[in-house]
Parts: sequence; structure tokens; C-alpha cells
Amino acid sequence: MDVYQITQQVIDPSALLQALEDPGAGAQVLFLGTVRNEFEGRASQGLFYDVYPQMAEAQIRKIGEELKEEFSVRHIVIVHRIGSLPVGTISVAVAVSAAHRDAAFAAARAGIDRVKERVPIWKKEHWADGSSAWHDDKS
Amino acid sequence: MSIMVLFFSFAADRMNARQKLYDLDGTMTVKEFFEKFLVKPLGDPFDAWLFSVNQEWVDGDALLHDGDEVAVVPPVSGG
Repeated sequence: MDVYQITQQVIDPSALLQALEDPGAGAQVLFLGTVRNEFEGRASQGLFYDVYPQMAEAQIRKIGEELKEEFSVRHIVIVHRIGSLPVGTISVAVAVSAAHRDAAFAAARAGIDRVKERVPIWKKEHWADGSSAWHDDKS
Repeated sequence: MSIMVLFFSFAADRMNARQKLYDLDGTMTVKEFFEKFLVKPLGDPFDAWLFSVNQEWVDGDALLHDGDEVAVVPPVSGG
């Protein structure tokens, strides 16, 4: 089963791995992105994620379709969580199953890279000192 | 013709809106629309932004049509 989701709910990796199950798969690769406690050396307490929901869902589905064409993968999961997330929270999951590990690693790597390049989601850093700022906002 | 323009992240903050309806006299490109209506309120030049039309990323030379859903947004930073 393939799963493509933008969600406000907790990401449960074990549920995602179940979606990948396939008797023809000899490998599963799971990438999890988590909220880090600093950005460019400045202490952070978490992130707020803004999203263009319909386009983001269409884009992750498209990325999944590309991965299926380019790599020999069986199933794909791409889930991105949005809203306010404290340090340590899983914000994004990209998981694939494939017959062999090379394809699984390559597809998972390409998947998260493409999510970061083109899915319309934006981070706002909640700094430890209580202030906040969008990434890339130079003003 | 009219188009609905969506703003996210700090584009929404600078516009003080998540979406705005614009009436255009005639067909124009995304870049022409940006220069005419948005460069001033957004405060950064064309190259600082990404654009989508009907939920597909586009370049500045894409033509706008009546009823299009356009988004004008900062570089994406998900993950």
C-alpha cells in the first residue's frame, strides 16, 4: 500500500512500516526527519510548519509516482506533519519497500530530497528565547 | 478576468492575508502580475519568490488565465 499524507496527527513509524509490507520485498528503508534543538547555532524550542495543503498532497503523490518509475520499489510512504512541533518530534517520514536494499536506500534518499526541494511547506523557528522567525526571511 | 492568489509563510505575513482576489485587465505573465501588484507589498524582488499556478510550480513567463489559483511563496523549507 502507498501512503501520501499531510497531517496534523502524530506520525507512527510502525503503522507506516506495516503499509510497506509485501512478500516480494526484501528490504524496507525508513527515513524520519525530527525537529532539532538548534538552527545555525541558535537554540530552538521547536518549529511551526505552514502548508499549502492541496498542492503539498499533490506534490508528495507526484514524488511517489516518480520514485516508482525511477527505482524498483514496491511501496512508498511519504507523510509530512504540520503545525507546531516541539524538539524531538517526527516531522516527516519517507519509507519504501523494495526487492533489494540498493533500490530501497536510493529511493528513500531521493524521496526526502525531493520533498525538501518542492513540497510547499515552510518552517518557522520558535527560538529558545521566546521570539520566532520564518526560515529564509531576511527582513 | 480574476485570479485568486494565495500567500503562505512570511508572504502571508507581509500581505496581511492568506488569499486575495485580483481583477486583471487582460492576460499577463506571472512576472508581469508580480511587478504590477506584489513587488511593493511583498518588499522583495521577483527572484526571492516561488510561484505556482493551479498547484504546479511555474516560471515567471507562465501566462495567467481567468479563474487561476496562484500562489506566491518563499522558498520551501519543509522536512
